[in-house]
Amino acid sequence: MSLRYLARRLASAAITILLIVILNFVLFRMMPGSPERILLGRIPNVSGEVVAATRERWGLDKPLFPDQFVAYLAATAQGDLGFSYGARGRPVTDVLLQKLGPTLLLFGLGELIAIVLGLALGAYSGWRRGGVLDHLGNGLSLILYSTPYFLLGMALLLIFATGLGWFPTFGIDTVGRVYSGPLDQIADIGFHLALPLATVALGLVGQYSILMRSSIVETLSEDYITTARAKGLTEGRVLRTHAIPNALLPAVTLIAINLGYVVAGAITVEVVFNWPGLGTLTVDALSSRDFPVLQGVFLLLSVGVVLANLVADLTYGILDPRVRT
Amino acid sequence: MTAPALPVSDTSLRPVGRRRGAFLREILRRPNGAFGIGILAVFTILAILPDVLVGPLQTAVTATGPRLAPPSTEFPFGTDQLGRSILNLTVHATRISMVIGLLATFITVAIGAVLGIVSGYVGGRFDAVLMRVADFFLVLPTFVLAIILTAIIRDALGTGSRELFGIRLSLLVIVVVIGITSWSSAARIIRAQTLSLKERAFVDRARVIGASSGHIMRRHILPNVVNLIVANAVLTFAGAILTETTLSFVGLGDPFQPSWGQLLEAARSTGAPGLGAWWYFVPAGTAVVLVVFAFTLLGNALDDILNPKLQGRR
Amino acid sequence: MRSPLTRRVRPMLAAMLLLAPTLIMAGGAKAQDQLVLRVGTDQKLETLNPWQSITYADYEMFSIQYELLVSFDINLEPAPGFADSWSTSADSKTHTFHIREGMKWSDGEPATCEDARYTYQFVLDVLASDDGYVGSGYLEPYLSSAGLESVECDDAGNLIATTSYPTTLLTQAYVPILPEHIWSQYSQQEISDATAEGYFANEPPVVGSGPYHAVEWVPGESIRMERNPNYWGTPGVPDQIVFQTFESVDTMVQALRSGELDYVRGTGADQFDALATEPNIRVAEGYANGYTYLSFNTRATEDGYGGSTSALEDQAFRDALGYAIDRQTLVDRVLNGHGVPGTTHVPPYHVDWHVEPDNPRTFDLAEANRRLDAAGYARGDDGRRVDKDGKPIVLRLTWPDSEDHSADAQFIQGWFEQIGIGVDAAVTEEGALLELLPGPEYDDGYNADWDFYMWGWGGDPDPNSLLGLFTTDQIPQAVNDCFYSDPRYDELNTLQQQATDEATRKEYVDEMQQLFYDAACYHVLYYDSELHAMRTDKFTGWTNQPPDTGVPLFGFGYPGYMLLQDASAVPTEGPPTAAPTAGESPGTSPTPSAAPAGAGGGVDSTVLLVGALVVIAVVGGGFLLMRRRRPAEEEE
Repeated sequence: MSLRYLARRLASAAITILLIVILNFVLFRMMPGSPERILLGRIPNVSGEVVAATRERWGLDKPLFPDQFVAYLAATAQGDLGFSYGARGRPVTDVLLQKLGPTLLLFGLGELIAIVLGLALGAYSGWRRGGVLDHLGNGLSLILYSTPYFLLGMALLLIFATGLGWFPTFGIDTVGRVYSGPLDQIADIGFHLALPLATVALGLVGQYSILMRSSIVETLSEDYITTARAKGLTEGRVLRTHAIPNALLPAVTLIAINLGYVVAGAITVEVVFNWPGLGTLTVDALSSRDFPVLQGVFLLLSVGVVLANLVADLTYGILDPRVRT
Repeated sequence: MTAPALPVSDTSLRPVGRRRGAFLREILRRPNGAFGIGILAVFTILAILPDVLVGPLQTAVTATGPRLAPPSTEFPFGTDQLGRSILNLTVHATRISMVIGLLATFITVAIGAVLGIVSGYVGGRFDAVLMRVADFFLVLPTFVLAIILTAIIRDALGTGSRELFGIRLSLLVIVVVIGITSWSSAARIIRAQTLSLKERAFVDRARVIGASSGHIMRRHILPNVVNLIVANAVLTFAGAILTETTLSFVGLGDPFQPSWGQLLEAARSTGAPGLGAWWYFVPAGTAVVLVVFAFTLLGNALDDILNPKLQGRR
Repeated sequence: MRSPLTRRVRPMLAAMLLLAPTLIMAGGAKAQDQLVLRVGTDQKLETLNPWQSITYADYEMFSIQYELLVSFDINLEPAPGFADSWSTSADSKTHTFHIREGMKWSDGEPATCEDARYTYQFVLDVLASDDGYVGSGYLEPYLSSAGLESVECDDAGNLIATTSYPTTLLTQAYVPILPEHIWSQYSQQEISDATAEGYFANEPPVVGSGPYHAVEWVPGESIRMERNPNYWGTPGVPDQIVFQTFESVDTMVQALRSGELDYVRGTGADQFDALATEPNIRVAEGYANGYTYLSFNTRATEDGYGGSTSALEDQAFRDALGYAIDRQTLVDRVLNGHGVPGTTHVPPYHVDWHVEPDNPRTFDLAEANRRLDAAGYARGDDGRRVDKDGKPIVLRLTWPDSEDHSADAQFIQGWFEQIGIGVDAAVTEEGALLELLPGPEYDDGYNADWDFYMWGWGGDPDPNSLLGLFTTDQIPQAVNDCFYSDPRYDELNTLQQQATDEATRKEYVDEMQQLFYDAACYHVLYYDSELHAMRTDKFTGWTNQPPDTGVPLFGFGYPGYMLLQDASAVPTEGPPTAAPTAGESPGTSPTPSAAPAGAGGGVDSTVLLVGALVVIAVVGGGFLLMRRRRPAEEEE
């Protein structure tokens, strides 16, 4: 990979992040309801002076541009995203960090399982195109793809938690439980993780399988596959050594590009299972008008997706010589 | 949004579209396409004639049923917590969901097509800037952006019960938001197509005989990307329905005009899953899955038709 | 300060690496050694600093951890709290509270009159300061409305409080007595402003004087409390109390059903009815100490106000509309019967204070039409009434999106349509609504651009706060949101605050209710019930506060917790007793239990987060690389 390629990718990611930061400022200054009014809510005995004081304290008395904007840029650069209204003034960064772990756990694992399963299923479907398993697998994939995540979650919750009672209904661990050791605690978390994880994985597996299937089908029609077949390689070998590796790259790239869509839509899973992550936080911040937190979530997710894309791009650059320009 | 638009291959291309009738026949020839069209036909009828089929939309005042009653002969899908017939609500929600989906798709594809064609044809700095913007929109977490935009636009437009196309303003906001957050992938695909068309001989010929850029884009490029636009629109429609459902589910819908997502939200906030009131959320849930499923099948069928490379291997 | 993350992130990382089905199966089996009371709430647990309290959940947290100067018993009567006895001078302006002797804070420091003096003096200082309020501003009014002037400790350890006028409200003051040795280290700014440098969040372990104190807090999510080893009274039966927030009420109800919770606050009406029929579950329906109302913009077309019609300013018009609201139907259909049709702004929860108005507006559309005709609002050609400026009347109805009033709105729309009044109904974001409501007195740029809207208010054990919302001086505070102003009402409010004789005070309070009802600025729609549910197979002794009209927990003070009994120790549910059972040796309870296994870690949470990312990247990337490398080898 050339330095120029690397530099260009990095620069482009940096510009995108800067744009996101600016957009973030603009969007949130347009939100309805003045911050001080939301902050003070319907508290009795609040005088005009108090409102003015609140405004000053939160820097809302200064002009939007340049004062507030410059202050915002400087603060953001230092990782200071302001204070959460909903969490009674806790720093937004703290709130986000608290929720980031559970979300990473749920979606990190969920994505991994979905990618492995989805790619395997897709590869098989595409290879046996038109077969019974292809029809079944493809049909199932399409139905899973068509189901909103929260609906899937509600169904699993109903069947396995409330109905059969096999799994707990909420949360990430048993609150207040005293553990006999780390293994005990891990088991407890794993136990709580099972259903939300299954929801995320099932929700994602459909579209990954579809992606991989079409990628495999396309690859199988390439000339070098015909050549490989002509060389007398077995079908299985053609698939393993030529088709899958070449089909994998476009599929994985598409997955990385779609990350923003996927994670954002899937956050409703967290609400269904009361999972203490960024999704629950978003929905909650929405209902409590906690704009600084919404702003923080937006920034965090956007930057996360930019970075994921950057990693995908760079990986692509390393793996595929054709893009090393 | 909830689900990314599936890739539509942009490799297909033949200069001029075939006659539409033949196109439709070709869709129907495929099981995918026939099945998709069939499901959509049923829901389209529901969306056009809700009043004829199940009477006017029931409100708290006109509801006649008992509270949260299971399905019976009088109420085939049971009732909600206000005694309204779920059948009535779900059928009326079909119209709302489908119209929101249709309008959102129209906006998305219109923006995507115009920007894609112009950007691809004009090229140069304009193209570079526009595609940067498109990339930027691809990266944004659309769901969170949609939540934020909904609040902002709603504040700007005001809420109230004013209607446009029989849809309350508060719901049109969702349409606009879906449009703003999902035009970029359509634009990218159509631009790629335009780029390759631009180099074709028939475009060169038109240019040589002095046709204006506008004329070329309208007369020569557009007809050749129509199929692609249709295929993209079909998948956008599916995405729009999912987006609307999810936005309503987190409370951004309008209870005065229930969509499927709004019904699911109402079912959840009433506690229907825990109460065992499956009839409250199963109809709307099934409708969402079926319609998205149908659009996706149709999209696949179109992709098959438009992508001759795959066609031969059937 | 230990980050609340540590406990969770490290095991999570381990879980990612070790997750296996066997472990999952092992998770469910582990028995609980301690008797834990688990309480679910739909409100977030955002603060342990009492001055920041806003929600019922916030109040409950400090009520358990800190004594009030005078507490509340199960009948809501004054009960010993930080003071074990109290008396008032003949003129009711000097109040003496005897502080219990030998009391200790949970950290072992003595709890004395000085602590009470410090707390009340802090409030007085706050009230005298430039800000004039501390934190959320909810607690100081308890002392300011009692007219507190000064506090001091005498040599006998009594707190002597002087008020500027005669009052009985000091025994109702809902202000927790805080340990001076902790709180005096912080400035008013550091206590009040959560965003200030050095803000005191009162993180666990909380030093308190109540029966339990918080030892663990995951902000916004959960709080775990253990017994306070130095609590002055008889220790409670639960070894621990855990409070857990739920985003979804349905999930919360499921958790109660499955036995993961013992008590839930705030179920939906249908869930409540379903729970009532379940085995081992008891439900409690309490009168709400509050109400849901319809408020009118009574200055609609005055200069600087944005109402749509002058009719809203006319008492006769608003009065007539009151006859077109079928409150019983709203209760039956919207609340599923779990509420009481509304009349005055002091809810029947206050059994001693609530009165029914002399001339209740009962649902009668013909009467409403007759009154509108009489008031001069004739119907136009299309059947719609026109106001005195000749404009057809279409009222905009709204409510905050934090509450679902769409069904109420549909009903009101339907009824008003029948009396020729158009209703244009839509929900408004809560933040935007708060912007919309105030008039120009509040601040520049506010113009009360609304017609009528629905929301709710909640109160205290004493009706004082609910009465005080509608004095004239609350208009510029944006609290009196219907711009009600009546000098007689203002005068009565002062009189009732200063009345020391209950019968006299009741006369004032009665008159205030009637005045406000007659003005028809608010139509109180209903008093919606508090719906709670609890399991009876783990704890018994659930007692409502007050017994006839209340619910066991989330009341005032903490008596409900102290009456709980271990269901396995008490085979039959007898009358609740305050004394501990014989088998329970005092030695077992006060010892703080061992710290949770994961709590001691000093590993930086950021490191762990980065670690989690790396694991995902490595596993994902490895997968990719592995797949990629193979063909490369073979192709050569």
